[in-house]
Amino acid sequence: MTADVPYTDPFWEALEDDRFLIQACEDCGQAYFPPAPVCPECHADSVEWVESSAEGELYAFTKQHQTAAGFDSPIVLGTVELAEGPRVLVRIDADYDELSIGAPIELRPVEYEGSAERGRLEDRPFFRGFLA
Amino acid sequence: MATPYVTGTAAVPNGTYQRPERDLATDVLVEAVSAAGLSLGDVDGVYMPKPRPWAPQSFFSTFLAHRLGLDLKRNLELYTGGTSGGSAFRAATQDVREGNVDVAVVMAVERASISDTDEYFEYILKLFDREFQSPAGPSIPGIYAQSFQRYCHDFDVDRTDVAEIVVKNRENALENPDALFDEPIDAEDVLESRRISEPIRLYECPAPCDGAAAMVLTTETDADRGDSPPVEVAGTGYHHAPSHWLGARGRDLSELPAAGTAISEALGSAGIGTDDLDVFEPYAPFPHVEAILTEELGVAKRGDGVDACVRDDEGGLPVSPSGGCLGRGHPAMVTPLLNHLAAVRQIRGTAPNQVSGAERVLTTAEHGHTDGVNATVFAGGV
Repeated sequence: MTADVPYTDPFWEALEDDRFLIQACEDCGQAYFPPAPVCPECHADSVEWVESSAEGELYAFTKQHQTAAGFDSPIVLGTVELAEGPRVLVRIDADYDELSIGAPIELRPVEYEGSAERGRLEDRPFFRGFLA
Repeated sequence: MATPYVTGTAAVPNGTYQRPERDLATDVLVEAVSAAGLSLGDVDGVYMPKPRPWAPQSFFSTFLAHRLGLDLKRNLELYTGGTSGGSAFRAATQDVREGNVDVAVVMAVERASISDTDEYFEYILKLFDREFQSPAGPSIPGIYAQSFQRYCHDFDVDRTDVAEIVVKNRENALENPDALFDEPIDAEDVLESRRISEPIRLYECPAPCDGAAAMVLTTETDADRGDSPPVEVAGTGYHHAPSHWLGARGRDLSELPAAGTAISEALGSAGIGTDDLDVFEPYAPFPHVEAILTEELGVAKRGDGVDACVRDDEGGLPVSPSGGCLGRGHPAMVTPLLNHLAAVRQIRGTAPNQVSGAERVLTTAEHGHTDGVNATVFAGGV
């Protein structure tokens, strides 16, 4: 029987050590994010945690002028396509005007300062994108 | 299998209402049933989106059934974002087809005017991946802005051209007395309106507002009892790609593959092709979405959707003659039914911006940047 531990805990533990884990299917080789116990490509359940490079290219981005209460405004929000393939939605720590599609981005852990409820993760770091 | 027909319909103009959801819902339900030439005792199926989280009344469907003394074989209340009204309609259509109900009422009500900004944003954050996305603080325009950017990038589309879709829809809305907006704007107005999430400007966002609508679906037996000609629901389709905000897995942000699949299913079940359509009333909360949808429909090649949306020559398929989300305003739970109502009116010959001889109209409804789509074909003259 599976232990009563949230499936994603290994990701958050690794992030504390500046490691950005993704998952990979042992059957079809697909790398994917966010974590899930079955491969979203072939549905095999033999999947493993893999340390990604935490590097990728900026796939799309925006300067968002309206944000929820307790968040900075404006924010730069973007989608980073990791070198391994998966796309990740992130705050980007850069000026909107210095970004372009394809810009190299690194994902790094940060102390979380927003006001989203994170439950059991509230004392854990979150992650953000930085121009590489 | 019975053929489902839309008979009675009712809607309130988009705007701001003091009367609560229970009253707006009661009004449109009772009026639609009356317009169908039927009585509340005839209604044996009610289908609706769950009103939004800030609506004071929960268990709305059961509350309404009790309030109006409805004894129902089917009572369905569902919520999956913007396509909810479309899914409710599709479920009703299926139940009428299969003979599970004889008289279905599909209805929706929304009061955006009672939600406050903080409450709204808190609700929005819940829609994203709570662990991996919500903490970044995304908003709905923050996501659509990225697909807008990607669309322009992938197909070398000038973003100023995309603004013309807003101009067109606002112009169409001038003829629609139920629309929120009654003044024309030009592209400069759009491009100089407040920045929301770049490149999206305020006038490129759907305006939240209050609204309510109801439609009665019934079989041929009762279809002619109403005060207006019945309109056949000729085909329905639905698809949801493996997609949650960032595009379907393995696909680009500038495409909506589930829309293409749902539309194909609806056209196929109606036994028609794209060329047989006379009008397209899509769920397009942002202008680039309207362009992409014409491409998924197949009336424009990839990247040529803007032209397909704004052309007004006889060779083109009219897109959003009712004004759509951008011209009418957008009470999200009601919008799918407003698209259906626009289709019904086109076929009855009573629509604003009436397309001459319209007999086949396609509508779509979408969850909200998750590429989950209901598609419906309405037909007249059959």
